[in-house]
Amino acid sequence: MEKDYKTVNIPSDLYEKIEERLEGAGFDTVSEYVTYVLREVLSSLEEEDEEVFTEEEEEKVKERLRALGYLD
Amino acid sequence: MKCFVMGLDSAPPELLFNEFIEELPNIRKILENSIYGPMRSCIPAITIPAWMCMATGKTPGELGLYGFRHRKESSYTDIWIAHSMKIKEKAIWDYIGKKGLKSILVGVPPTYPPRKVNGYLVSCFITPDSSVNYTYPSTLKNEIEKVAGDYIFDVVFRKDERDKLIEEVWDMTEKRFEVIRYLLQEKEWDYFEFVEIGLDRIHHAFWKYFDEEHHLYEEGKYRNVIRDYYRLLDKEIGKIVNLLDENTAISIVSDHGVKRMKGAFAINQWLIQEGYMKVRNPEILSSFCRFEQLDVDWSRTVAWAWGGYYSRIFLNVKGREKKGIIKKTEYESVRDELKDAICSIKGENGEKWDTKVFYPEDIYPVAKGDKPDMMVYLDNLYWRAAGTLGYESNYLPENDTGPDDAVHSEYGVFSLKLPESNSGRTEISIYDFAPLILNLMGLKEEAVKLRGENELRNLVNWS
Repeated sequence: MEKDYKTVNIPSDLYEKIEERLEGAGFDTVSEYVTYVLREVLSSLEEEDEEVFTEEEEEKVKERLRALGYLD
Repeated sequence: MKCFVMGLDSAPPELLFNEFIEELPNIRKILENSIYGPMRSCIPAITIPAWMCMATGKTPGELGLYGFRHRKESSYTDIWIAHSMKIKEKAIWDYIGKKGLKSILVGVPPTYPPRKVNGYLVSCFITPDSSVNYTYPSTLKNEIEKVAGDYIFDVVFRKDERDKLIEEVWDMTEKRFEVIRYLLQEKEWDYFEFVEIGLDRIHHAFWKYFDEEHHLYEEGKYRNVIRDYYRLLDKEIGKIVNLLDENTAISIVSDHGVKRMKGAFAINQWLIQEGYMKVRNPEILSSFCRFEQLDVDWSRTVAWAWGGYYSRIFLNVKGREKKGIIKKTEYESVRDELKDAICSIKGENGEKWDTKVFYPEDIYPVAKGDKPDMMVYLDNLYWRAAGTLGYESNYLPENDTGPDDAVHSEYGVFSLKLPESNSGRTEISIYDFAPLILNLMGLKEEAVKLRGENELRNLVNWS
């Protein structure tokens, strides 16, 4: 199935900078490059959201919240 | 205009404005030149989400934050703990940051992990400990440690060593105010907000020594601890005021109030007795046990509950919970029936309770995220809910998980002192705070938008 696309605008000078980097980065088009970068950024944000506490930290926080009466 | 906001967690109007005010010269001087009065908290009136409701002008439903913990989707057991990354709505500092105005935030829950802000941030008591990065920018941590040594985020109050606790709270608060004074003098800011959690801890730990109406009232050497702590706050606030220029607006706020706890009600035990919950290992109920220790027979269980200052009730719904049994078509009637049953719970001696049950989708413009099916204020919060079980009676004179003498109440405090002299009394809702501050700081459009939406947010009244 063909993918659905939407157009976004970016400043021309940014576009040109990306164009210069295409070959070295192994991309054919600016759109491919931008899509890749945005996906990376978004997934790192999502990760940040999920893994705020390490397991040990989460236990520590839970223990304290329990002792404070928030988790009874 | 610059704004300095002093957050005193759980400060109730009764104590701050009346009972103690004659002994608080600095706060009295602020109030004499302020518009002030009670501020109605959000539902639930709990530290998280209340401080963020105040800062964003949004309800818990819009924030998708209903307390400190939430269940992961529809799990029976898995939970997540609230933290700063879960706040998706803009707070005062986000709005003003876009206009290039700078903020300093100290201890506003939840601000751990520290997120980027146009200014400086020291995170709140959700921070695991002082070994992690708790500031924005991260280099600020070194400065904090130079000023205050090992920074203290919180104390655990539910223990019997009261003298040690007093020492710890005083130490924590004095360090925090040292940091606050340092930041307010050394850094650039337009908006400054701090939250001191120590007051809430002192209220919970020492209320029965102070309130003669408390059912466990004890006379003795701890009688004046709460009063002394207010005096400590007053002294520290006085030092801050001396450092502020006359063109800075000063606000004192709290997230909710506090009142005596009448007891804790074992809500899961009650659900079992009433037939709403079935367990396969009933022998475990002969002594104290936690909900997680129960072998719940989900194929025959209608509802279960979480305890705390308020109770969250979850229904076992077919297609939503893994072993759900309530058909979607029966959901409303089952929920209404359980609500009626909860509202008919009476006190130990048959006294009538003023219990309130809220459905999330009824009290917010939208109820996002992992919401409970019902939110319950047993006897209007006078009774805590105990999620634990194995008691002879459902009515526990003391808290189930360590000493705690106080519960939350629906009204916190609000005061605002403006450079031009004006004074008087008012009553506002927690949702009015963000638009008020944005307006003061020149963000009229954003303020008008939030204020307009407030008609929806303030629809639900307590009574």
